[in-house]
Amino acid sequence: MPTELGGNAEDSALSDLIDFSMPAAAGAINEVVDSITEALTRLEVPEQKRYEVALAVQEALANAVVHGCGNDPTKQVRCRVKSDPRGRILIIVSDPGPGFSPDLLANPQQEENLYADHGRGVYLIRQLMDEVEFERPGNEIRMWKY
Amino acid sequence: MDISIRKRSQVQLIQLRGQLRLGEAVDQFRKAIDEALAEGDTRFVVNLAEVPMIDSSGIGVLVRSLASTKQRGGSLKLVQPSSFAVKTLRLVGVLNLFEVFDDDDSAVASFS
Repeated sequence: MPTELGGNAEDSALSDLIDFSMPAAAGAINEVVDSITEALTRLEVPEQKRYEVALAVQEALANAVVHGCGNDPTKQVRCRVKSDPRGRILIIVSDPGPGFSPDLLANPQQEENLYADHGRGVYLIRQLMDEVEFERPGNEIRMWKY
Repeated sequence: MDISIRKRSQVQLIQLRGQLRLGEAVDQFRKAIDEALAEGDTRFVVNLAEVPMIDSSGIGVLVRSLASTKQRGGSLKLVQPSSFAVKTLRLVGVLNLFEVFDDDDSAVASFS
């Protein structure tokens, strides 16, 4: 269930908008993405930017569910959304998995990977968001949209 | 996601409605393509006019299906992807793998 929170000491300029925890199941992702989209609409974020953030969140949650939690619905994935007065949006997705090294991911645009049926999620996130960081050991992603 | 399929001139016309993303939607679409391939169909037109968002899983199944049809001498072509879907396909470098049409008739005719 989403909850509204007060200010965060670590990111004092950012306001917590939403803090979700969801079971690690593909079917649970849609509700979270739709709720975030609604929140961004209330903030009057432009449509194109909303779509880009929504898709990046979709990808991050999918990775957390599939790779971080092995599609185990008994595990929880957390998604936080923050914003600042300038309209910058920070999305944080974390899972209880062992993490991974994003540097080891194959480039989906290389010839031999073009017809692959997977492996584009992180690449797509980096294209859609303005800044992306993985917190060690790689089970938390922080994504900025300016 | 809703999937409707009809056949015209030996081409499978697939109309998708909803988000093509990880989970049931992608699974349904993959199953529909696999079943048609198993029955010998190799020509597909996928209408995306009512698909506002395609995630990387959706892209994966589209690309995989394209590859499968081409291996069998056919193809999979797209109709009216949304501007955001086009942008997404372009961002991951696969837009140019597909032939894209403005309407079903043109896409079907292109197989002749």
